[in-house]
Formats: sequence, structure tokens, C-alpha cells
Amino acid sequence: MESVLIVTPVTALEFLGEDYLLAGDGPVLSVYNLKTSPTTSALLSVLQNFRIHGIRPHQQQGDKAEHTSVAKKEEEEPQGLSWQQRAHLVVFGGKAVRLVELKMGELPSLQPLGPLIQLRDWVLDVHWLDVRGDLLGVTLAHNATLLLDVQKGSTLALCSCEDGCLLYSALLVGPCWKSLVVVGGTIFNQLVLWRPGEGTEKEGGRNMVGRVERRLLGHSGVIFSLAYLPKPGWLASASDDRSVRVWDVGALGGEAGCGAPSPTCLRVLYGHQARVFSVKLSSAGAFSAGEDGVCLAWDWDSGKVTRALRGHRAGGVRALAVSLGGAGGGGYVATGGTDGGIRLWSLKEEDSGLEDAGVLRDLGFEGVGCPKVVRVTGGRGLRQRGVVITTDQGEVYSWEEQRGWQLLWKGGAGFCSYNVMEVLEWWSGDEMCAVGSLSGEVWLFPLSQPSAGIRLKAGTGKIHSVLWVHPTGGRGGYLLASGAEGVVYRWQIDTELVGGAVVLNTEPLGPFILPPCAKRWLTTAVLISRPEGALWVCGDRRGSLLLYRDKAEEAKADGALQPMSVLFGVHGKQGVTCVCEHAGLIYSTGRDGCVRVSRLDASALEVLRVQRACRGMEWLERIMVLDPEVNPVEGEHGERHAGEVRLILGFHSVYFVVWDLVRQERLLSVPCGGGHRSWSYWLPQSPGADGAGTVVFVKHGAVMASRAPEETFHQQGGWELKEGIHGRGVTCVCHLGAVRVARQHWEILATGGEDTTLTVLTIDPRSRALRVLALITDHISSIRALAVVRRPGAREANDTKPLLSVLLFSAGGRAQLQCYRLLIGANGQLGLPSCQVIQVASHRLDEQWERRRNRHKTVKMDPETRYMSLAVVSDGTEGVLLAAACSDGALRLFSLTETSGRFQLLWETFYHQRCVLSVATYLLKDPQGCQRLFLFSAATDGVIAVWDTNTVRNLENGPSSDTCWKDPPSPCLTFPAHQSGVNTLAVWEGHWDDQGLSQAGGHWMTVASGGDDGQLSAVCIQVQFHSKEVEGSGLTLNLYARSVEPLAHSAPLTALIPLGPRLLISASPDQRISLWDRRGSSLRHQGVLFSHVADIAGLTAWQGEERQTWVAVCGQGLQLLRLEAEGDGK
Amino acid sequence: MGRSSKDKRDIYYRLAKEEGWRARSAFKLLQLDEEFNLFKGVRRAVDLCAAPGSWSQVLSRKLRGEEQEKEQEKEQEKEQAKIVAVDLQAMAPLPGVTQIQGDITKTSTAQEIIKHFEGQPADLVVCDGAPDVTGLHDVDEYIQAQLLLAALNITTHVLKYGGTFVAKIFRGKDVTLLYSQLRIFFGEVTCAKPRSSRNSSIEAFVVCQRYAPPEGYVPNMSNPLLDHCYDVDFNQLEGPNRVIVPFLACGDLSAFDSDRTYPLQLDPSKEYKYTPPTQPPIRPPYEQACRLRKSNLLANENSPSLPLDEGFSSLHLSANQDADVRPPAGTAEDGGKLDDK
Ligand SMILES: C[S@@+](CC[C@H](N)C(=O)[O-])C[C@H]1O[C@@H](n2cnc3c(N)ncnc32)[C@H](O)[C@@H]1O
Repeated sequence: MESVLIVTPVTALEFLGEDYLLAGDGPVLSVYNLKTSPTTSALLSVLQNFRIHGIRPHQQQGDKAEHTSVAKKEEEEPQGLSWQQRAHLVVFGGKAVRLVELKMGELPSLQPLGPLIQLRDWVLDVHWLDVRGDLLGVTLAHNATLLLDVQKGSTLALCSCEDGCLLYSALLVGPCWKSLVVVGGTIFNQLVLWRPGEGTEKEGGRNMVGRVERRLLGHSGVIFSLAYLPKPGWLASASDDRSVRVWDVGALGGEAGCGAPSPTCLRVLYGHQARVFSVKLSSAGAFSAGEDGVCLAWDWDSGKVTRALRGHRAGGVRALAVSLGGAGGGGYVATGGTDGGIRLWSLKEEDSGLEDAGVLRDLGFEGVGCPKVVRVTGGRGLRQRGVVITTDQGEVYSWEEQRGWQLLWKGGAGFCSYNVMEVLEWWSGDEMCAVGSLSGEVWLFPLSQPSAGIRLKAGTGKIHSVLWVHPTGGRGGYLLASGAEGVVYRWQIDTELVGGAVVLNTEPLGPFILPPCAKRWLTTAVLISRPEGALWVCGDRRGSLLLYRDKAEEAKADGALQPMSVLFGVHGKQGVTCVCEHAGLIYSTGRDGCVRVSRLDASALEVLRVQRACRGMEWLERIMVLDPEVNPVEGEHGERHAGEVRLILGFHSVYFVVWDLVRQERLLSVPCGGGHRSWSYWLPQSPGADGAGTVVFVKHGAVMASRAPEETFHQQGGWELKEGIHGRGVTCVCHLGAVRVARQHWEILATGGEDTTLTVLTIDPRSRALRVLALITDHISSIRALAVVRRPGAREANDTKPLLSVLLFSAGGRAQLQCYRLLIGANGQLGLPSCQVIQVASHRLDEQWERRRNRHKTVKMDPETRYMSLAVVSDGTEGVLLAAACSDGALRLFSLTETSGRFQLLWETFYHQRCVLSVATYLLKDPQGCQRLFLFSAATDGVIAVWDTNTVRNLENGPSSDTCWKDPPSPCLTFPAHQSGVNTLAVWEGHWDDQGLSQAGGHWMTVASGGDDGQLSAVCIQVQFHSKEVEGSGLTLNLYARSVEPLAHSAPLTALIPLGPRLLISASPDQRISLWDRRGSSLRHQGVLFSHVADIAGLTAWQGEERQTWVAVCGQGLQLLRLEAEGDGK
Repeated sequence: MGRSSKDKRDIYYRLAKEEGWRARSAFKLLQLDEEFNLFKGVRRAVDLCAAPGSWSQVLSRKLRGEEQEKEQEKEQEKEQAKIVAVDLQAMAPLPGVTQIQGDITKTSTAQEIIKHFEGQPADLVVCDGAPDVTGLHDVDEYIQAQLLLAALNITTHVLKYGGTFVAKIFRGKDVTLLYSQLRIFFGEVTCAKPRSSRNSSIEAFVVCQRYAPPEGYVPNMSNPLLDHCYDVDFNQLEGPNRVIVPFLACGDLSAFDSDRTYPLQLDPSKEYKYTPPTQPPIRPPYEQACRLRKSNLLANENSPSLPLDEGFSSLHLSANQDADVRPPAGTAEDGGKLDDK
């Protein structure tokens, strides 16, 4: 067994100068060269079974390296020289310390120097004590410090603190052992300062004991992290009590000893929503990060938060590093998450956050009246960005940075008090503006020559909206004006230049008629070209999605067009806000907080997926799908995104928010006062970059911009050095298949987590690259189980056939069940697989209750059932059966057909009367050639029950027909297998004892189980069919040959999988993955691997290329292992 | 989620409230007793990491008898059962239970406990100690192990020969190292899991019976008891030579299932009624932070001014002030003006 890839919480980060970042992820030390593009990196597993908690470059060496790399740039030395640079690092974690050498350069490399040094106690901090790099001060968790010769691995001195207690954190300061100061953060909320070099002998001279010299009180929780800044002499502490405290301790170490005799607490910084795990000090201020996933930058003088860096999923930031910055200030912050991700943030002044309210800018409208509608201009082609507005005086003004406000157009009385406006970027580089009135008037004019405008008539009533639609190909544009009584007037617009003057050509098209309803007007439209003619996908204020087709023969007649297809009110009563097309799919947003992805065929729209964009964000305004370029900004940090960027714009309480739908993170948030106001948005200047753009809006009669338009744009989410997965425990993992893209082999996996998200990810085992392909956020509670049917859907047309198509089931808390079809294709541009998600069905047991109107007044009497485990049966027909183990004591069986899109509860039994933990299925052909389905279920009392479903249904119609399910039967066999809960079940055909049992005849199946008691057990079951149906079922089950391994693991056995005919693989939170050989009548231990994934909860295994077997385990992270060939023990 | 929601998800939480226990943990000790008869002949007991006190409640009821709990015969009590309870947190008083507030990993606390049993060793030591978990398993398991070892070290000073030690243990990656260490001191070590402890949790209890320290072992409080390391020569990390002790699930199978979700209406004849907790929850470390958040005083990018600064910076905390207790509520710490009224 060999570990190929591991994603665990990032627990250590350290900069080496400005150019290198060091990271610890499990036992693996990584180095990133930040100055190469794309970033180069190297990794090395250094700490065996310990996790890296800290990295300390040898200062002298580190400084030299930094120095020369700066010199190199100035003198343009040949690059080859940088290969000469080396740095010594000491890496520690758990009870281990190790010396590692880093060779710097274009392609950095890491090499261990000497063996792992194991100490008797847990290491909290390590500090270099000499220039040569031999001596280390090491502080241990029981408040003792030792002097270690790291070259020889020998302890030269040891001193304990008189306060013998457990520390959560420690910090060493000082130039040498004699004057070294230890700051310890005790379990009991104090900071103690003492000097190990000043210890006195006690108890016969062997033990040195140090006196506590300072004691700092104030925290009300344990201390997780400490930092010291020598320049002003400040010490910072981060605590369980969610605060950071800064203490004025003065100079520490050397002559100064333990610093100021009575240190004061300078500041108490409360800003985090949860525990603070890490604090760092630099001349730029204090930085803190923690469980809330946010890194806060604090200003020294005011104690204000200057920036909040948000880039990690639930579970928080575990590691934090701050680089010093060169002469021009700046520098970087690096954050490492529980999700396994690493992000880098620039501290340069011009890159500072948009979220600072101070950056809101009033554009200082100078015209007459009050601004009503605002639109941005120059978004794409033009360099100069600007703004146009209409006012309640019926006038249009423009604004540009250089020119300020200018009156462009006066609409007269008809456009006062009410008007609507839209602008379109014109092919000529100009901008075309349309303004509608209360009485059916539409004025159309180019912004460059307002006098060239013309008047159009759209009925006589109120123009509810004017919309511009880009033609597909071609030039010009379509103008739509939604008038009274649901009539949408349309024109095709083009321009000519006649002697320097713009001449507008308009050609009326047949109007669209909207379906009758109260708020009957159009809100959004997009034109889609199809071989059979152009199609219009529109959204209206009533929340309906509409499809129209231009009929060529009728185009010039007055013939009004009725919709070909209507999805009435799908986006709810607050209306559709945006539709757009990308890669053949239609995306729509609404004020119901949902994004819908739909498929368009010749005559109808079909919704494939509904996605709630962001919890609590009910008002979505727009979706933008951008195909990123792989290297968006020249000379910057290389590749940023694996997939396309989907940005959602909308309102979240009083904020205007830009939300990244793929990464599920907020890119921009501007306090604008909330919805119901006119707004407009500029994309970031460099296409595809992560920048959050600029929002312009009208508030209290002023035109505000979220920042000055000409400033450079900045990445809100930070630069992602390493992609994270789930922020909390990964509860289940499932292999979906493998695909070939760009001549590379990609494994596709799905994971579900306590963070309620379902992730589809891909791994290239060769390059050890992991990419998230899709993030599904439909679950409202923790996901606990996954099941897959690897079969293409019935309707997948041959020409658009995906590389892989599977049906994925997920289940978890709040009795929620989901089913998706996943279509895995190739993103040729990026050379990566892509994933399209289609929602097939969803189900909740308590839906009935949720729909009740008065539910807030009544106490919910239903149990809050959790689904604990899933098993799926598919016999090749369209229908699928799904068995679910439920925490309310039931075993439930559902059916699903993909076309119906509905789960149906077929049968449930409360036989177990206890939480059912696991379920498995088995299909067997009886002598008549009929398929018989057996269900296996097991609960917290250690009993396994076997159900013959033939007794409850008629199999003639195939296993999935819903007919003929009778009352719940009793199990056909039960047997105790464990003392307590049965966590996992595996069933396969045949028996393992070739000699003894084969003579007995009949069909055989083997059931293996793993329990909370750490036991692995296996039984063989003989199935005997009776020629005549003696009593009901016509078969009997006999138990044979039980084989038990009582102490297979020292912790609960949580996952078990058969591998080929003879091997079993088991996993447990004891972090051992064991192989068992089931030859003969017993289970034999074949090999074991220590895993760095804690709390292992799930396992999946599959046969790959060249007889290789792959195993993935999940828990607090994810690990991929390779088994060379079957039977390979170690 | 409403307050009844936890009643549904956690049957033992609900039962504890209904039966007057301060924590659901009470059932764990009761179920361990069902299997091991822990209290038989026990007169003197130590409850380490005892807050909020449900194990002390069990000890008090079992060792002193239920009736006596209400009586106040002070003379008799001296010969009566002796129960010493220790925790970092303050605990509401319990009849017949002596309380010590302190850190069990700290030498001074240990010495205070030992004083109570000089010449009169204890029959039983229990420890339900758990750190405030950080979510990083290696750290949490390590600290839990240190609490167990601190308890074991105290035990070696106070437990009578042949006595019993019961302690919470996390069944994580290095649990076998603890097993091998406990085996040195006890004739019999079992890993027990009460049915009221959730199947999904890594928590279990070691029941160590027949205390018999190695020949010539001198209890030593001045050095902490450190945990063992894997013997590399025997490949104990990945090899089969790990010490795994027998496992025993405790408690009646007919008892409630801690993993099952029950409807609120358990008994059709008895209508569900919400019971408030027996004890208000222990004052959490983040109390102040929560108070600030509620009054919208946490610093963020949008509300830059922090009215707290002066209040805090004027707070002078002198060094070398030996106080092992957290400042009581309502001192300058809480800066009276921050109270949201
Ligand atoms: C699970 S609770 C104990 C519940 C208790 N047995 C009951 O039944 O009410 C764990 C306790 O361990 C305590 N604890 C943690 N670390 C400690 C330490 N170093 N010294 C003393 N108590 C500690 C905590 O304060 C907490 O109250």
C-alpha cells in the first residue's frame, strides 16, 4: 500500500523571504516558489506518523537567501546561480523534530538532513539558538524546555517550569540558551514567562526547575497561539475566548530577561465569530485567524479591523503566515484551512480590500433633479469607464472620471417622474441608449450623438422595461420594450455613418405576447441561434421562463408571437431577473434566491438543476458565466481556476453581493442599503481574473460607486495556491469512474461532508493533482451516505454523449434524499474534465410537516430522522431501488425512475427499534431465473437482519415496479454479529472456505461486517431454494462458518470493502487501513498502513489500469492509496 | 431550531433533564456500573474533571444512599462516604461532596487532592476529563491522553491496592499506547462503551481493575507521567504488536438508544412537556465575545470604531499575581458598561 495523495488540514505555514512559502499538511512539507509562473512546488513527507505543526527556517541562512535573491534581481545575474541557495529548516509536530534542507531555485527541492528525532513529549515551539545551526531550544507541552543538538539528535539540557501544568501553546524568544525566554499559554488561561537557562537544581541535582517570572491574566479561555514583535516589545495571544490580546512586555531575552516587570494589556481585540487559532505580528499590524474561516488584519493605532480575508470553507483557518514585505511595504499573508486549501493575499496598498466601507465613493451628481436609473458604460471595449443616469426631470446625464457630469439629453415632460433606461455597447465602439416613458414613448440615441436620436412608439401605456439583446454574430442589436397589457414591442436596430453623423435604422419585428397575469411585463431576454431558427428565452416579472421563436415568414408582418413554451412562475412571484446562455445551457436567476440551469430543445425548456446560490441571499439579480483564461494576468501567479467562473450578483440584506457560485464564496459585499434600487456593475478589467468589479448604485438621491473606477482590481478570494475540499469532516466517498482528457487519466470521485456540501472532484494520480469539478449545496444538514449507479441516462443523445454519465444518490440529516445525474465531459480548453449536474429528484420525509402553514406555532412531533447509510440496486432497467438505514429505527425502501423525477417510498419496517446504521443489498438469480433481492440491515445493538424482498413484492415486473408491495414482513434471518453498533456491511457472492462448504451445494453469499467494538466478522450464508413453494418464500437461509477478528482495530471499524475475490480492506478512526486475506476459514492480517486522515468514516476502492487497485479513505480529509497488485501486502 | 429539537436528537439529554441529572454523562457511569459493579464496597472516591457534576451526583447517591442526601446529620457524615470532586470550572455544591477547583495537570492541584487521602486511600477514582476540543484530532487526542495520565498519576498516590480507576479515553490513533501503559498498573484493563455514549463518537472508557503498581514503583508528583512511544524495533506503529484491550459494550440493550431519534411523544399516554436543564450551562470562555456580538460591538471592516478600547486598555493587570481561578463574573473584566440592557 502506498499513499499517493493526501488532503488534510494545513497546520503550518511559514514564509522564507518573499519568494518561498513553506507549508505543512499532515506529515508532508511543501515548498512553493511564489515568483515563478505557474508556481512551482516540491513536497516531501518528513514526520512519519506526526503532523507538522511548525516550520522554522534557520534565520542566518534564511536572511542570506532573501538578501541574495533581491540582489539577483537588481544585477540580472544568470538564473542558474539561484540553484546554489540552500536553507536549513527545522520541522516539528507531535513528538518529532526533523532537519530538512531546501534548495531554492526555479524548481525548488527538499531533502531530509538526518533521521527523525523523537522526543518524549509533545513539541509546542522550536527556536534556533546559534549561527551554525546546531542548537535548538524546544518547548514541550508539560511546560519544560530542552536544549537539543539537532545534528546529533541529543539533549544537552532540560529544565522544567515550577508551574508543572499542560500548555496549549508556547513561544521561545532569545538569542541563546542562557537568556532564552519561554512564554507558555496554559490550559488555565494564563500566560507564564520563565527562563530555562536560569533554572535551579532540585531533587538531587538531576532536575532543573525554572521560576515563573511573569504571569499575564485576562483571557477566559485556553491560549492557542502566541506571537512577539521585538521592535515595540509586544506580545500577542489568541484564545478560545475569541479574543486577541496585545501585551506590552518590552524587550524579551538576552540582557532584558523577561522584559517589563509588570506588563500591561494594551488591547483586547474582539472581532472573530469563533475561536482564534492563530495570531501573527508584523510592522504592518496584527493578523489573526480562526475557526470562523476569516483572517483579520488589525491596525496598530486604532485597534480597527483593516481587512477581512475570507477564503476558506467551514472549519476555519488553522495556519497563518505573514511575510515582512520589501522596502515598498506590502508583503503577503498566507492562510491554510481545515479544508486543506492554501491562499495567498497581497498586502500591497493598492490591493487592499473592497469591503472597506471607506472606499464607497459618491460620484457627486451635479445635475438637476434626482437620479433614477443608473447604468455603467465602457465596460468592455472602451478604456474610459463611465456612468449614465436618468433623472426625475426626464433627463439623461453621463459621468466620466475626467469630464465629470454632463447633460446629454432632455426627454421633456413625458419622461419626468417615471422613466426606464437601458444601454448597449455598440459595435462601433459607441454606446446605444434607450429610454422609455409612462405613455409608450421610447427614445433611442447614441451616447456620442444624442441629437441623432429617434423616437419609437410602443403602444400608449406605461413602458415597464426596455431591454437590449445582443444579436448572435452580426452587428447592431435588438431593442425590446415591454408595454401595457403584456405586449413586448421589438425592433432590430442598426446604424450607418453618413458624413460623420450617425443614422439609426430601425426595423420593427412582431411583438411578443406575455402570458396573462397581474404583473405582466418582461424582465430579461436572450437570443439563441439554432439551426432551425433563432430562439428567444425570456423571463418575466411573474417568475415565468418563456420561449419564443422568430418565424421567418411572419417576421415582417404585425403578427404577434405567443410563447412556444412557458414554465409558469418557476422563479416565484418576485420574478425572473436574468437569463443567459453558456455552453448550450440556459442559466436563470430570480428573486426566489435560486439559480436554475435549463436545457433547451427545439420546442421547450426543461429545468435540470435548481440551486440556492447562497444561504440567506433571497434576491438574486444576475448571473454571469465566464470562461477564465488559464493565465489571466501576465506575470502574476499562474493558473487560478479549474472551471468556469459563475458569479451571482444580488442583494443580501443591506448589501450588494458578488458571490462565486462554484467556490461558494463572497467576492464583494457593498453596503448599499438593499434591493429595490437601480444598480449597475462593471466586470473586473482583466477578463477572467478573480477581481470583484465595481458596483454603481443610487442611494438617497446620490450616485455611489463601490470604488473609484480607474483603480486596479484585486482578487477578493486571494490567490489559491492549493485547492481545499470540505471544511469539516468528510463522511462519505464514492468512486464514480475514470475518464481520459487531454491524454491524461482522471479518476472521478464524489464526497459528502458535515459541511452539508456534496463535491464532485477529479484526481490525476500521476501528477497528484486534485480539482473540484462541482459543488452541490442542496443538502440542509450533514451528508452521511452516497450511492452510485454507473449507467447512462435513457435520453442521452449519441452526438453529445458525455465521457461518463452516472446517477448519484446522497442522503443525510433531516431525512433528506437527493438524486443527481452527473455528466462528465472534457473541458478542452483547460485540459480538464468538466461536470454537469442535473437534479433528478429530491425527497424529505418531513415535507408534509414543512408545508403546514402554522408550523411555527406547533411543536414538530416527528423525529428528526437522519439517513445513516444507503444501498442501491439497479437491474439495468430505468428504475432504481434505494434502501436507506434511518436513525428513527426504520429501514426504508424507495424507488425512483429518472423520467418521473420522484422518489417513492415503497416499504418501511421498524423491526430494529434502534438506530439502523448500515444497509446492503444483494441480487441473486433463483433456479427459475428470477432475480431475488436480499436486503441486509444492521443497528446499534449489533444484530444483522436479512430480508428476502420476494416475500413483499412481485418480481415479474422487474425490481423497480412499484406494484404489489405488501405489508412489512419479518426478516428471513437475523444473527448477532457485534456487541454494539454495526457500522459497515459488505456482501458478496460465494463463500471463502473452498474445501468444506462447496460440498453442501446451494447458493452462497458472504456477509462481512465491522462494528463499533472494533471487530471484523464474516459469515457464510447458504441459500436453499425449495422446488415447491412450501411456505411463502420458497427458500431457507442457513448460517455457516463464522469468522471473527475481535480486535481488528483499536477503535470502531467504520468502513469495509471487499477487493477482488479474496481481500478485504478495513478502516477505522485508529487511523489504520488494514488488509485482510480471507483464504481458508479465517481472516488473516495481510498488511496495514497508518493514515494521516483522522476520524476515518468512509472508504471506496476500485480497479484501475494495469491491475492496480486504488483505495480512497475519507474523514478529516481525504487520502488516495495505491495497492500494487492484488495480494500485495505492503 | 427550537429548544425541543435537542430533545429529539438526544434522548439521554432529555432523560437527564427529566430525572434531575446535571448532565447526560450520568447515564454513562450508571451503565458502566451495571456491568462492572463499580461502587461495591466503595467508601472513598475521587471524581476528577467533575463539572457540572452529574458523576458526583451518581457517586453521592450510590455511596451515601438516596435518603441521606436530604438529611443533614453532620456528625455521621465523617464516617460516611468521602467524595472529592475536582474541576477547572466551579460547580454548584452537592451534599457530601468536597470540591476542589483546579487544573488536574497541575502539581499543586494534585497535591491538594492527595492531602485528602493521606492514610486513607481511595477505593475508586473516576475521571471524565475532556478538553475543549479544537477539531484537530492529533491535538485533541493528545490533550485528552494527558488528562488521563494526570489522573493516573494522581491515582497512583491515592488509590488503594486492588482499587478501580475509570477514565474517559478517546479511541484514536495512539490509544494502544495508553492501553499498554495502564496495563502496567492494573491487573485488568477493559475498554468499555456505555450505550448512552453515541456510536459515532470516539469516546469510550477504560475500566482499570485490581490496582497493582509494579514492584518498587514510587509515585512521583514532581514529574508528569508521560505517554509511551511506539517501539520502532517492533514496528508497533503499523505492525500487529499493538496492545489492544478487550472491548465491552455496557448497559441494558433494552435501554434507550443514544443514536436513535425518538419522537417527542415517547409514550402515547403521556404528553410531551419541555423540561428546562437541571443546571444552567457552565460559563463558556466565549461568553464575552457573544455578548459583544449580540450588541453588535465586534470589530469589522464596516464598523471601524470600537468603543471598548479605553475600557480595556485602562485595565492594568499586574504580573505574578497567583490566582488560579478565573475572575468571577462582574469584575472589571466585563467592563460594566458593555452590558446590553
Ligand atoms: C465531560 S465534562 C465532565 C462531566 C462530568 N463527569 C459530569 O458528569 O457532570 C469534562 C470536564 O473536564 C474538565 N476539565 C478539562 N480539563 C481539565 C483539567 N485540566 N483539570 C480539571 N478539569 C478539567 C472540564 O472543565 C469539564 O467540566
